[in-house]
Amino acid sequence: MTHPDSRIVIRGIGAVGGFGCGVAALEQALSGGEVRPGRVALPMTAVSDMAAFMADTVLLKDFLPVKALRRVDHYSRLALLGAHLALADAALPEADRAGLGVVIASGHGATGITFAFQDSFINDGDICASPTHFANSIHNSAAANISIMLGAAGPSLTVSQFHLSVPSALLTARQWLLERRVERVLFGAVDELSRLTSHYWCRQHGPAADGTLPRPLRTGADTAIPGEGAAFLLLSREEDAANGGYCTLDSVTTGRNLPPGPLSASPGLLLLGADGIQATGRRYAEAAAGSRIACYTPLYGSMPPGPAFDIASAALILRSGVVFPTPAGDACDFPAAVAKGGEPVGPGPVGILTLDDDDGHGLISLGSL
Amino acid sequence: MPPVAVTGLGCICAAGQKLADCMSSIFLGRGAPAPPVRFTSNHPVRYPVFEVAGFPDDPAMIRTSALGLHAAREAFADAGLDRDSLALLRVGVCVGTTIGCAMSNETFCRQVHAGIDPGMGPIEVIQRSNPAAVIAREFGLSGPCQTVVNACSSGTDAVAIAASWIRSGICDVAIAGGADELARITYIGFISLMIADDSRCKPFDLNRKGLNLGEGAGMLVLESDAVRAARERKARAFVLGYGSACDAYHLTAPHPDGAGLRRAIGEAFAEAGISAGDLSFVNAHGTGTPDNDRVESRVLRDLMPGVPYLSTKGFTGHTLGAAGAIEAVLTAACLERGEIPANAGFSTPDPELIATPVREATPITGTVALSESLAFGGNNSAIILGRGESS
Repeated sequence: MTHPDSRIVIRGIGAVGGFGCGVAALEQALSGGEVRPGRVALPMTAVSDMAAFMADTVLLKDFLPVKALRRVDHYSRLALLGAHLALADAALPEADRAGLGVVIASGHGATGITFAFQDSFINDGDICASPTHFANSIHNSAAANISIMLGAAGPSLTVSQFHLSVPSALLTARQWLLERRVERVLFGAVDELSRLTSHYWCRQHGPAADGTLPRPLRTGADTAIPGEGAAFLLLSREEDAANGGYCTLDSVTTGRNLPPGPLSASPGLLLLGADGIQATGRRYAEAAAGSRIACYTPLYGSMPPGPAFDIASAALILRSGVVFPTPAGDACDFPAAVAKGGEPVGPGPVGILTLDDDDGHGLISLGSL
Repeated sequence: MPPVAVTGLGCICAAGQKLADCMSSIFLGRGAPAPPVRFTSNHPVRYPVFEVAGFPDDPAMIRTSALGLHAAREAFADAGLDRDSLALLRVGVCVGTTIGCAMSNETFCRQVHAGIDPGMGPIEVIQRSNPAAVIAREFGLSGPCQTVVNACSSGTDAVAIAASWIRSGICDVAIAGGADELARITYIGFISLMIADDSRCKPFDLNRKGLNLGEGAGMLVLESDAVRAARERKARAFVLGYGSACDAYHLTAPHPDGAGLRRAIGEAFAEAGISAGDLSFVNAHGTGTPDNDRVESRVLRDLMPGVPYLSTKGFTGHTLGAAGAIEAVLTAACLERGEIPANAGFSTPDPELIATPVREATPITGTVALSESLAFGGNNSAIILGRGESS
């Protein structure tokens, strides 16, 4: 039986992306309003590289011995770093990890190691396929590595719904808490820019022109720059969060056939979620019409875990009570009001709207504690 | 937790393309694995598999999703729900898979190796083929859509997640299950792990050497009491309880004491409000790998002594993300039938295992059964099903 009266709280945040590593780095990027993308190599196309927000996992050595990471690929390292950062941010005692539920959202999974596994038998014949690469290419490898390295023996779930992976997985994470199946859920979203996903992005969207930055609030143009990274949240019921937290996770809805037109917005709603992808930009503008909007995708890039970074950003807004400036907010042609940096968040909820190009949508609503 | 009604079942696997055909061939003891027909391998050993014969590929989607859609059509028809009636309801989709979301395509990879700029066609087909989204599109479903990629427990987890949606009022109806195709990449992968049997798999047998891969899909229609009452529809089964826990031990091996499996079963019992003595039978994971069967039989002996158990993988092969769903469907159908089939492939008891599976088709008494799944990543899931009203 669910306990609908229970409020779910975000107690800790762990984020690693193009802006750096940790909640302080994210907050600094949000306050500063600009992160310059790096470059990702494109060995399979005519152009040698393209702009991308790449994430560095070097700080994982602060949490785990290097030896333990010998066989862990970049994808799982991103997830492990995000997970450890979130638990450290929440100051969750090690003793409380045993029953921790782990929920991972990933659009593409461990594509780099999947590619490497195929390399192993294409190079040397089927008999030489690498069992280590195969074991790490399983879609739930990040969740498994987290559970093993944290000793998290609660239920574990990995969801892959491409761009809707975050709202879809978060729906179940929230259910687990409302049903009291677990005391806490470590929720995370992770994707990597591998050879495959970079190539796919380039073919779908083309590389951004040198020096340009994303303009996610401008319809009619694909200004997105891809990103990779991990955004993790430690979730619990409110009674377990006596020692603090960022905000409440009030609702998660996901499905298909979002009614056309503006969202029937709550008064004072602040809406996040645009990511500069042309295929969904017009639909997003339509849904956001009349709302107050903000957008931070230019700080971490477009990627399936993007909504989890938006949640982290919204959580920081709700804790401080002040909205961060929207990068390139002056380039907005949506029929909506872009929230200026420094203004109060207001009494309404913060919503994160995610759309895919298949009529799917997700809407996550966060509130103040 | 209140029971959730199952009003429709669908199944496709090597044993048959409809549930009735599957049940018929399983109880007749028909079917055997054979070297793969759909692909070749230059591996010197031809490991046998359980393929779904005569099921055509659809160029518009990956085979996994086509299998899932096929079983979903059967389940919805069985529940008496068509596209028009579904349009009036809040309907969710939850599907487990392993292959269905993997961005892996060997043709693409080989082109890269050959220095050819690879075409994106195969990857775009994967992108359009998310197994849950394919079903939602086909039937115009507007509720939550979730593809679970929990390796070999995916199907069990998907059914339980959908039951949670029904209980909490997120949906009126949900279609839930699992789907997976037989693919060369996973075939080579399991061989590389040295857990594939070069003959028919022998779950719980002394001479077991590993698994045979299979393919297929199982789907269940779950329905709220309100909608079911309005439609005057009898339940074919009930989802009574579910538990899930992670071993947090190893990427591909189960915990030697079955620590996670024990917790998962305990949770499922508590949620269903039953004890081991209430069980008619257990549909075990029973892959035929030495490690899995050793751990699982130890847990069966300790937690459910004397309860008849079997593995159906000797008829279906290990269908990975579909396995838990196919086995949930077969469990429900066996409760309806009042009989369980023999554990195919078992002939010589292993003294280390103590408990042994059923050797022949066996009548069952009682109304409750448990189906369990163990997975790479250390996932363990157990679901308890109750006999329906239409039996």
